[in-house]
Amino acid sequence: MIINGVFIDDTYAEAFGMKATRIVITADNLTWARHAANAAFGFATSVIACGCEAAIECELSPADTPDGRPGVAGLLFAVSTKELAKQLERRVGQCVLTCPTTAVFAGCEGEESLPLGKNLRYFGDGWQMSKLIAGRRYWRIPVMDGEFLAEESTGLLRSVGGGNFLVLARSRGQALAACEAAVDAIARVPGAIAPFPGGVVRSGSKVGSKYKALPASTNDAFCPTLRGVAKTELTPDTDAVLEIVIDAVTDADMRVAMKAGMDAVCGIGAAGGIVRLSAGNYGGKLGQFHYRLREILA
Amino acid sequence: MTTLTLRSVPNGRVDMTGILPETLAGRRTEDIGKQIVHLAGSPLMLDDLFDVTPDETGMLVIRTDSDRLDYLGQGMRTGKLRIDGPAGHYAAQAMTGGEIDIRGDAGEGAANGMKGGLLRIRGNAGDWLGAALIGDRAGMAGGVVAVEGDVGDRLGDRMRRGLILVRGRAGDACGARLLAGTLVVAGGCGSQPGSGLRRGSLILGRRPESLPSSFNDSGRVDLSYLGLLHRHTESLLPGLLPATTHAYRYMGDLAFGGKGEILVLA
Repeated sequence: MIINGVFIDDTYAEAFGMKATRIVITADNLTWARHAANAAFGFATSVIACGCEAAIECELSPADTPDGRPGVAGLLFAVSTKELAKQLERRVGQCVLTCPTTAVFAGCEGEESLPLGKNLRYFGDGWQMSKLIAGRRYWRIPVMDGEFLAEESTGLLRSVGGGNFLVLARSRGQALAACEAAVDAIARVPGAIAPFPGGVVRSGSKVGSKYKALPASTNDAFCPTLRGVAKTELTPDTDAVLEIVIDAVTDADMRVAMKAGMDAVCGIGAAGGIVRLSAGNYGGKLGQFHYRLREILA
Repeated sequence: MTTLTLRSVPNGRVDMTGILPETLAGRRTEDIGKQIVHLAGSPLMLDDLFDVTPDETGMLVIRTDSDRLDYLGQGMRTGKLRIDGPAGHYAAQAMTGGEIDIRGDAGEGAANGMKGGLLRIRGNAGDWLGAALIGDRAGMAGGVVAVEGDVGDRLGDRMRRGLILVRGRAGDACGARLLAGTLVVAGGCGSQPGSGLRRGSLILGRRPESLPSSFNDSGRVDLSYLGLLHRHTESLLPGLLPATTHAYRYMGDLAFGGKGEILVLA
């Protein structure tokens, strides 16, 4: 399959079932909601060492938030409910509770729930107040700028993490420009995030390493500097490869997000230096979800 | 479902216990007419007092010009009940679910021991709204009461949980002995509000005539919680609360732990 001069590899992205949640952070203005969200969802690129993968999903107008203030919605993904709960509490406690003027609310319903303000309330040292409004419990925790308002719990979602595609280009600049367009397109898809810095990964990994302590190491088959010595996947006209990793609330969201991203890359096409689109997988034995690139783009 | 129309003013108080949407649903008109109510303590059939008319409204409607019908909606669990006219005493007592719409005034003791559901009172309500059932240690324990008019004394006495909204004015000792929950009174209240308040919030649209001396001034505060509450109350009583997050906070009752608050909207 070739689209606008870009060869689409006959391969698939291998993704995993993950646990996720959505939270809404509001503040007196969008700047401070973003400060809290950027801190809470920072250092959340990969579950390998961050504990979770997280990012801002979208910005919300006052009409769309529970307390009528501007805010942002963010998604967090982890490999287990226990780890997700731990990361959520730690990140909201250290980055949202601490941030001036903010409040935090559940952004989704789920069959199960995760503690949000349920344990953070103890920061109030006995001065915290509980409020039950329309069947939902909130905690008012006194802080130095007034009160931190936190909904007691948020929903747990069964989701998909690790969807990806690789952009192979004639130069690093061209690969990056295409990826920026892809990330912009993915940002417009509800229920999907690209958790890496700017949504783009340069250090794609393979499973295993020559060093026993490392579970993963550099994906040498896609490293242009190793073309002469390693078993390479690159053709001589490819000088740089960048990856987009996507986490999504549902399988359908993942497909929409991958298509949006790849369509944006193909829109730039061979004229913009794009050579191929490929994807990362582990032989199909580790992940429950397989996203065939040609099927999604068909 | 069914419309019950009171034929004439009864010569005593009528105990309407058991006349609920859930008990009358699916029953024939003749059976409904044979339902027993009590007039001044003596049993008689429903159709001795009311015209019983089946209809397609999906709710039980009681049309009355008299305020002598007591215990309307008592113990109601589900469905919709509309009172076209005034309700007597103890309406919605121990209600746990469903919706009651009183298109008139309500007597005393409405929503006593209420645990869930929604009670709307389009007129005024008497004393002890949302308070405890006689002999109980705690009052209303859940649900929402929305009153368009004024209410009497001891609003929400010993209330444990839930939300009471009043567009008009409340009498004396509003929120007295409140254990928890939220009272919103837009039109101000009489003397000694929140006396004996343990936890919970008493939110007033106007400064009260006097505050108990056991409340301490905590100054002017900015609470995002008020924005959340404003959004919720707009769906129940539009325009009840101004879109402000600023209030003057008085914490107390310090003789009972001091964990409660009176918020006077700024």
